[in-house]
Amino acid sequence: MTTTLATPRRRRKRSLFAAIGLLPFLVFSLALAAYPLSQVVRMAFSEIDLGATGFSYSWSGLDNLVRVLSDASAWQAIGNTVFFVVMTVVGSLLMGLIAALLVNRAVILLPLARNVMIWPAVIAPVVVSLMWLLIFSPTVGGINKVALSFGLPAQEWLNSGPGAMFVVIIVDIWHWTPVVFLFLYTALQSINEEVLEAGRMDGANEVGLLRHIVLPLLVPAIAAVGVVRIVMGIKVFDEMYLLTSGGPNGATTLVSQRIQLWFFQDLRFGDASAFSLAVVLMTAIVLAAFLFARRQLGKRA
Amino acid sequence: MTSTASAPRKRSVLVEIGLVVAIILVILPVAWMVLLAFLPNVAIVSTKWIFPFWLGNFAQVFEGGVFGIQILNSVGIVVGTVVLCLVIGSISGYSLAKLNPPRWLAIPALALAGIIPLIPPATLVPGLYVTLNSIGLLGTVWGLILVNTVFNLPFATLLMSSYFSGIPEELREAALMDGASEPKVFASVMLPLVRPGLAATGVFVGIMAWNEFLMGLTMTSGGPTAPVTVGIAGFLQQYSVTWGQLSAAGTVAAIPMIVLAIFANRHIVAGLTAGSVKG
Repeated sequence: MTTTLATPRRRRKRSLFAAIGLLPFLVFSLALAAYPLSQVVRMAFSEIDLGATGFSYSWSGLDNLVRVLSDASAWQAIGNTVFFVVMTVVGSLLMGLIAALLVNRAVILLPLARNVMIWPAVIAPVVVSLMWLLIFSPTVGGINKVALSFGLPAQEWLNSGPGAMFVVIIVDIWHWTPVVFLFLYTALQSINEEVLEAGRMDGANEVGLLRHIVLPLLVPAIAAVGVVRIVMGIKVFDEMYLLTSGGPNGATTLVSQRIQLWFFQDLRFGDASAFSLAVVLMTAIVLAAFLFARRQLGKRA
Repeated sequence: MTSTASAPRKRSVLVEIGLVVAIILVILPVAWMVLLAFLPNVAIVSTKWIFPFWLGNFAQVFEGGVFGIQILNSVGIVVGTVVLCLVIGSISGYSLAKLNPPRWLAIPALALAGIIPLIPPATLVPGLYVTLNSIGLLGTVWGLILVNTVFNLPFATLLMSSYFSGIPEELREAALMDGASEPKVFASVMLPLVRPGLAATGVFVGIMAWNEFLMGLTMTSGGPTAPVTVGIAGFLQQYSVTWGQLSAAGTVAAIPMIVLAIFANRHIVAGLTAGSVKG
């Protein structure tokens, strides 16, 4: 196709420029992601002393990993994370789907809704955390102020383990529904109106159309954004930082916060690194399982 | 009327009511914080609904100058991260999309770009801490620029690459035929064509860098070295700080992003959908 240009000299120049162009990306990623990860691996298998000259390492094999995996607080964090991820993924998929279906049918409020619907996603998680603290706080929160005005009993959800987890899940769903909304709204817009019209001609009502035509067509988009939300859920750290700081009694401590607490508060550098490694491996397994399941389902369909 | 191709859609009262509820659910928590930011503490802790307008919270938040420095730190981090991501992202993205880089470079690059977004940032904290420590950038704005860049670069590169892929090959070839060199074609022909991509990438990366918290918390020692998000969290730990001041600090951090969401909506949507797919 490009006969006029494909002289050897030109091709060599082009691949030289291609290599030079990729180098900054490679250097950056290797230096600040691959190298730090290698340090995590090194620390995970070392006993670490913080001396006057900095860290000193001595090989300790699987000691850290064994200690971490027999630590109840590690399993509490893993359990919390699994519960949190399942609830927030399902919750935000549901809310995002409803929002997308509504906006897709909107006429008067369309421009406003399409704009406002993404606001939560641009606010810093820490600020989101603060915003909801101002609402749920047992002492000054907006909910209790309203409850008091109506003579209702005040809530103290943040003071109980399950209550705090419930609040944190609500907050995460509020924060990240916009991402699901955008995915599904885009997918909805690509559905051919004529298909729906044909369904209506055949006498299907709106619920029937949704169940038998729209939802099946949305399955790939839902699966795609589901993966995105799973990854986001495993990464969560900031959202609970102000709201619950992982409490009460570790009830809302997720894996990320466990790592940070061990490393910076307890100075258990090796344990924090070993747990980091375990989390990376578990993330990989979960994602592989999800992608495998998706492929199997895709084959059957 | 309904048979024409662009039939106006049926208005449904139920849909519009549902949307009103949805919009209120989105705006209410934000509005509540902004409202508290303009109230004196007496009004906030009172059981009565009184709203004496007050600007004192903002004055108190900026008192002493630390919060102002933290805002400047964040601005510096945003500018540095956006510039680095745009420069490296567009050059590397161009290389991937248009130049057929040698496989021994392209495959590791794509693998890194695919894996980095999947790694929970907290798991890299121990490694990044010792890495930044060993190059003397721990607790500096420069260190945070580098860290923010590495987490946003995969997205920036892949998004720019997808924008470059959309440009017809003929344009590039015509410019080369005219005798322009490869770098010149990139800078003066191709780059201006992907301006929407640069905008989407820049806006998205900028928001991510402004909102970043974990690295700001763990790679600095707080106070005047920290970004604004860490500053807000720090307020909560001070007993003398009031709810009004906290709300004011949160408002200062959130409002610029919401203004961006209103006016650069298109770019954010492009970034969020593409960014989430790829990262």
